[in-house]
Amino acid sequence: MKQSDSKAMDRRKFLGAVGGASSAAVAAVSPMAATEAQAYDPGPNETKARYRESDHVKAFYRTNGYETLKK
Amino acid sequence: MARMKFLCDADRCIECNACVTACKNEHEVPWGINRRRVVTLNDGKPSERSISMACMHCTDAPCAAVCPVNCFFTTADAVVLHSKDLCIGCGYCFYACPFGAPQYPRVGNFGTRGKMDKCTYCAGGPEADLTTAEYEKYGSNRLAEGKLPLCAEMCSTKALLAGDGEIIAQIYKERVVKRGYGSGAWGWKTAYRETVAI
Repeated sequence: MKQSDSKAMDRRKFLGAVGGASSAAVAAVSPMAATEAQAYDPGPNETKARYRESDHVKAFYRTNGYETLKK
Repeated sequence: MARMKFLCDADRCIECNACVTACKNEHEVPWGINRRRVVTLNDGKPSERSISMACMHCTDAPCAAVCPVNCFFTTADAVVLHSKDLCIGCGYCFYACPFGAPQYPRVGNFGTRGKMDKCTYCAGGPEADLTTAEYEKYGSNRLAEGKLPLCAEMCSTKALLAGDGEIIAQIYKERVVKRGYGSGAWGWKTAYRETVAI
């Protein structure tokens, strides 16, 4: 092997070692690696049920149904 | 607890687009976004049917499953809402949605199309109820006022039903008993994994 080829191999080993070490370090410190994704939760006040069967809503059901639902 | 659903009775829809107009006006939806659309199948043929389509607020919503920033949440009455503060406009939800509901204010690639906008079931967003901040981002919050989505309330032929899933299914069953099954409760199988059993 020529001198220049030898230098090239050394450089590749060096870069390979740096790359491997850095990716291992990222995997070791990354907080996302072991945590599962969580859905956004804006809190109980904003996820509470807002629907209520008001007179307005009852009128909607009554006018959309046939006679059996108009009682 | 009541589970909110939409039901489009395609045998009654006359493609008047009142639901589309009502929605845009109620929420001051910007140009280029239609939270609700009327789709006509087999146009001009004897089997022509029109369907009013928006976010169906699916059970186990696929948009929420693919969102990389988890900006979706489901309320106790099963309305699927999202936070525009968290949305990055990636467009994944648009590809996941079986109804083409998510819309974007601008045309562009990843991150340049703006915050996603979709039907909120007239239930606002994560901001406090009936505030200006909520109205500017998500439109009005009719559910908090004791009302139902305006698209359904405005429907001239009573084709579009909204409200408690069990009650609107009962209304649909009554219609089916009178007139026959017709084209069925379009989209229910996809959105809610069930259909209206007669």
